[in-house]
Amino acid sequence: MPILKKVTENKILRQAFFIAILLGVWQYIVSTGNYSELILPNLRSIWTALVDSISTGEMGERTAYSLYLIGKALAIGSGLALILTALAMLSPLFADFVKTITTIFNPLPGVALLPIALLWFGIGENSILLILVHSIIWPLILNATTGFRSVSRTQLEVGRNLGLRGLKLVSSVMVPSAFPYILTGFKISWSNSWRSLVAAEMIFGASGGQGGLGWLIYQKRFFLQTPYVFAALFVIILIGILVENVIFAQIEKWTIQRWGMIIQKEK
Amino acid sequence: MADKVLIENLFVKFEGEQGNVQALEDISFSVKEGEFLTILGPSGCGKSTLIRSIAGFQKPEKGRILLGKRQVHEPGPDRIMVFQEFDQLFPWKTVKSNITYALKVNGKGKEERERMAAHYLEMVNLQDFGGAFPHQLSGGMKQRAAIARSLALNPEILLMDEPFGSLDAQTRAVLQSELVRLWQKVGSTIIFITHNIQEAILLGDRVMVMSSAPGRIKDIVDVNIARPRLPETPEFMALWHTLYGLLETKRFGENGKSSSMPGKD
Repeated sequence: MPILKKVTENKILRQAFFIAILLGVWQYIVSTGNYSELILPNLRSIWTALVDSISTGEMGERTAYSLYLIGKALAIGSGLALILTALAMLSPLFADFVKTITTIFNPLPGVALLPIALLWFGIGENSILLILVHSIIWPLILNATTGFRSVSRTQLEVGRNLGLRGLKLVSSVMVPSAFPYILTGFKISWSNSWRSLVAAEMIFGASGGQGGLGWLIYQKRFFLQTPYVFAALFVIILIGILVENVIFAQIEKWTIQRWGMIIQKEK
Repeated sequence: MADKVLIENLFVKFEGEQGNVQALEDISFSVKEGEFLTILGPSGCGKSTLIRSIAGFQKPEKGRILLGKRQVHEPGPDRIMVFQEFDQLFPWKTVKSNITYALKVNGKGKEERERMAAHYLEMVNLQDFGGAFPHQLSGGMKQRAAIARSLALNPEILLMDEPFGSLDAQTRAVLQSELVRLWQKVGSTIIFITHNIQEAILLGDRVMVMSSAPGRIKDIVDVNIARPRLPETPEFMALWHTLYGLLETKRFGENGKSSSMPGKD
């Protein structure tokens, strides 16, 4: 059977096949009529909800707000991480300090800070930003520090030999040399913050003001518009896949794979 | 010709947890302009410490290192080092941009950078690999590229710390003769570290033999053999045995047994 052979050989086709099976099972369970539409909507109504929320602009707005928050948090978080890491490199005492606070805060899930954020900043953007920055900054510092420590002594000395000093040596030799670690840091930071964001929005967005995708889910559930909840989940999954498997994968291909700084992944 | 490098009563001490180690003790010598000096010594004799001190990576305990009339304290592009390690090229830059970048740091204009990079890549037979990234090159090609980068900077002295030490025998032989050819063409002043007697004779105008613990100069021997030098000739073999003798007494004392491994080097 040539078609079956083609499907089993191609990775993308294979995955599409699995997804088709999952959707088929879903649709079958719905068609048995044992579950209410409010609990398990059929695929068609989820699709209609998705198209509807996109065409009214609601989905776009929510997604944009979520991405705006995470972009802002990434900017603040990586800025802070950069400053702390740089200072830690300049002073061994400060390095100990940074190491200590990283050890303390890194294992703490961002969502666990929600009540504290609520007390300190009330309901609104700042509370969410606090949680996002928290989930971004520690993995970034941890990886960047490991990366800087693993910079080849030879390359550092070549840099000094060429006449590079101080910040120029850091930006021209240490950062590119530590780039595989820094990129890993960003990947972890992204996935941490993306997960925290959705959770945080459900708490904060629910009390009004602007909201993102998490808030959309919460709101739709409140009005028992279950197909819209699933539509929002679909968008969240899609963005996650896009960032992790397309954007980060592409950056990796352009940089550390091209430079031979990691082993090429198997296809 | 005038002295290019003058080392005066250089002492280097390492302070470790097991106490202090005198790595270099009272080292004095000079290198003339355009001269090729090889420094020969067993592992741990401080020859790397010596060249690292000249490069400015290692602070001496006392003594002076003069480049021309100027005393050197820190690394600079007037003394370019070629390392043994294959990762001395920046992996995130192509072979050519490794060279152009070094020139850029040292204030050369864009056109000149391109022209010089092309010139020196051709000189080391890497003209077809300018666009390659270092990880795509073999070990020998990486060392050639590093030599091209160093030559392009036109340093007052080229410091080479066992640059061929990690290469296989054939590649090493090819690069040795290429280095002599380049040196004859460019006229650089070179200090070359090796623990390989044959390499020391093949390359050097003079061979400085060091002994270890503490690192001292044992002898400096002139190599009065016409180039290109062939290891089979009687005068080459005679000098080989002289140098071997200078090294061996130390080995004997160190290990308590005579090591006879003339075939290896």
